[in-house]
Amino acid sequence: MDERSALALLYRRAGFGATSSELSAAAALGYSESVSKLINGLEQMDPPADAIAPPEMLQPPFYKPKSLSTPAAIMQFNATLSEERIALTNWWLERMVASVNPLREKLAFFLHCHFPTAISKVRFPLYMYRQNQIFRTQGSGDFATLTEAVSTDPAMLIWLDAGTDRLPDPNENFARELMERFTMGIGNYTELDVRAAAMAFTGWHLNTQTGQFAIATKLHTNVPQTFLGQKVSTGQEVINAVTRSQACARFVVASVWSRFAYPIETTDPLVAELASIYSKDRNIKNLLKMVFMHPSFLSTKTSTGLIKQPAEYVVGALRALGISAARLPAIKPPIMSAMSGLGQVLFDPPSVGGWPQNEYWLSTSAALARWRFAHQLSLVGDISPVVDSPAGSRVDAAAEFLSVESWSQSTSAALKRASTNPHTLVTLALVSPEYVSN
Amino acid sequence: MNDSKSDEGSVVEPSGRVGDPFGGLKSTPREVWSVNRRKFLALAGGFGAAGVLSATLGPRLWEDFFGSAPKEAAVVKPPLPLTSVTSKRPLVLVTLYGGNDGLNTVIPYQSSVYQSNRGQLAIDAAKVLPLGQGYGLHPSMTGFKRLWDARQLAIVQGVGFANPNFSHFESMDIWQSGVPGEPVSSGWLGRWLDATNSSPLRAVSVGPTMPTLLTGEKIQGAAIPPGKLVLPGDSTEQMLFAALSEINSGSPQLFSEAAAACGNLIELSRQMGPTLSRTATSDPLHLAGATSSALAANGGAALAIADGGGGQSAPNVLATQLSIVANLILAGAVPQVYSVDLGGFDTHVNQQPTQAKLLGELDTAVTAFVDALTNTVSGHGVVVVIYTEFGRRVNANSNAGTDHGWANNVFIVGPGVKGGFYGEPPDLNRLQEGNLVFTTDFRSVYATMFDKVLGVDPKPFLQGSFNTLSMV
Repeated sequence: MDERSALALLYRRAGFGATSSELSAAAALGYSESVSKLINGLEQMDPPADAIAPPEMLQPPFYKPKSLSTPAAIMQFNATLSEERIALTNWWLERMVASVNPLREKLAFFLHCHFPTAISKVRFPLYMYRQNQIFRTQGSGDFATLTEAVSTDPAMLIWLDAGTDRLPDPNENFARELMERFTMGIGNYTELDVRAAAMAFTGWHLNTQTGQFAIATKLHTNVPQTFLGQKVSTGQEVINAVTRSQACARFVVASVWSRFAYPIETTDPLVAELASIYSKDRNIKNLLKMVFMHPSFLSTKTSTGLIKQPAEYVVGALRALGISAARLPAIKPPIMSAMSGLGQVLFDPPSVGGWPQNEYWLSTSAALARWRFAHQLSLVGDISPVVDSPAGSRVDAAAEFLSVESWSQSTSAALKRASTNPHTLVTLALVSPEYVSN
Repeated sequence: MNDSKSDEGSVVEPSGRVGDPFGGLKSTPREVWSVNRRKFLALAGGFGAAGVLSATLGPRLWEDFFGSAPKEAAVVKPPLPLTSVTSKRPLVLVTLYGGNDGLNTVIPYQSSVYQSNRGQLAIDAAKVLPLGQGYGLHPSMTGFKRLWDARQLAIVQGVGFANPNFSHFESMDIWQSGVPGEPVSSGWLGRWLDATNSSPLRAVSVGPTMPTLLTGEKIQGAAIPPGKLVLPGDSTEQMLFAALSEINSGSPQLFSEAAAACGNLIELSRQMGPTLSRTATSDPLHLAGATSSALAANGGAALAIADGGGGQSAPNVLATQLSIVANLILAGAVPQVYSVDLGGFDTHVNQQPTQAKLLGELDTAVTAFVDALTNTVSGHGVVVVIYTEFGRRVNANSNAGTDHGWANNVFIVGPGVKGGFYGEPPDLNRLQEGNLVFTTDFRSVYATMFDKVLGVDPKPFLQGSFNTLSMV
């Protein structure tokens, strides 16, 4: 892979794609310096993104017991939450579009997929915002610390029914998903471990008046439980045990590799190799650097291994076609309806399993949604690099414009036939397999 | 469903949540609604429905999907003799995501073990809709009771597989792939597409994404976009879009699949576009009126709050999907297999109102669907299979909810289905780690569908031989 292709791949995976001029700037730095720049960006300010203020949101306690006694008051309250939700989703999309440290937003998106939590149940946009900020501010550090922060944050407490895990028959929801989806994966614990962990988490709840995590000692059992072969009596001890396990190291490495490079099983030798280094500090920033610097990352397997998720697709296309964050709210129909048609609305994954990958995004229904979005975007976006090229070189111009390495024979043939109509050409380029893949 | 249904006043148990919009953060009834709403938004997504997240558009979309008020009351009609089925019987899979509590759906209400384990979650015996043999349906399922009495509802009891899996994802994967024990990426009907070398249009799902169920190794079923199927661009753009689907030799797998989706979309539009566009304005299920009746019966405000979307009631998303399916079947469209779904059944907390609401939606949608197809040439052979990833623990947890369990019921419904109980009911006195033990392998249900509905030998698709059941 030549350096420019490598950099284009890096920017697609560690960000939302690079424009031609961004690629030239990266080429001046070289590959490993570009990786360092992206990685260092994880802990730096992101002025254009940080300048976008989050929406005003209701604070806990969200309502007084008697304030919602009439249907009209309830409807008004719900309308407020609904507006907040739309504003919050737009806020994150705008951040992604504006970001100059795109890995920071990309990592927040990855963690949203790793710890999927949906506003449909959490209900209050403020809590989704707070979780999102944890991803952004603590996501690149120690995974054990991050897991505890996410687990004791209101969004997760509500999402997995914390506060309802109580004696004598504790609810197993959080205990199970913590191990299955967030830290270890199936096969590394038993049903008895699930029940033991649920015991250790008894009493965990959200104080709905303050919006703070609390442990109700009356509801917590002090009887030590045997969990993964050790004695635990608190939820924190369970989180410590799982996040420091070898199984968790493999699980986290496989999760990161699968979303940034290509899908991989926890049993793959590559996972063992990276996990042995990762488990020394459990640091996500260091793990990401290892991934981007790994020889297997710069491979055909990587460059053909992922389909863009809708958020990556939409944000990448908006950035490529020069739609600024400030212009987003005025775009009609709204970008969020494109996301809905594509099957991915931010802050609203379908279940605690999050969004699947690859084939999942290649349905006929999604193909239509992509086409509609691309058609709309080619009309409102800046496609001057294609328009300004002579008809005979527009196909190549589109490849450079969209940072696509090369077109396949059939895509190239279709684009050539559209070379007298740049809008059609760009629409087709945006829905081509080469651009749809990541 | 219709006027006669709502007169019975038991479509949904009144929740009485008007003054308690959230029931505290511990309660989940609104989850149901918001899940439904989300699903509906997803269904209504795309640019055909500009601003779908704007709550004010709710009713308009609803009208688009369901048309005007019902014109006639649906009644059970005698089925046409099956001999008049010429070539194909439609098969409709209804997936209930989250693990529906089967024990509170087909209820052993006379069992003291049931009563004592379920405590406050036990359904009041006086409200159960009796089926005989000590079982009764959940009170929300009045339509299913009518189908049962008409012998059009078969209930297979104790369905599951050995070595139960308590993960939603793995258990659902097993159900959808039809292969327990090892992860398989293809679905049981996806392999049917592969083996019969079918057009992807022969097995379709309604919504933005494709379930594993209809995903083969080679061929992936088509996903039907909701709303009017209008392609963007002029005829040149459409022709060139179709040209993108040409697969290049040596093309990476994912690129080929992305290309195939373009071609399949064009084909879907060509073959079903006009019918799908009609669906946006005509609802064979006649459910628009029932929704407002149900709203009135249950207190409009109570439903509106749960919606979380500014006061409009959440539409019955399953009915929306089944309305599309009914139109396609009535139009004699290409697909033989359809997949639709309803989510929100993971009732760890405060199960009763959530499940009552969801089962009510299921009941309304499926009953209206069956009624709409009864006595129609292309639809009277339809078979509807309703399943979920697992049952739930017999003993309720301490939050008026239930945790993940094992064996469950499968419903098989249709005008030509021979109603009644099938399989063996699990023994409530012989639980395994608190769970109902399965008695019928789920692949028996699939073998039955392959053999009797799709007309193919089940063996190659199921890695083994399984008894077929006699309801179809």
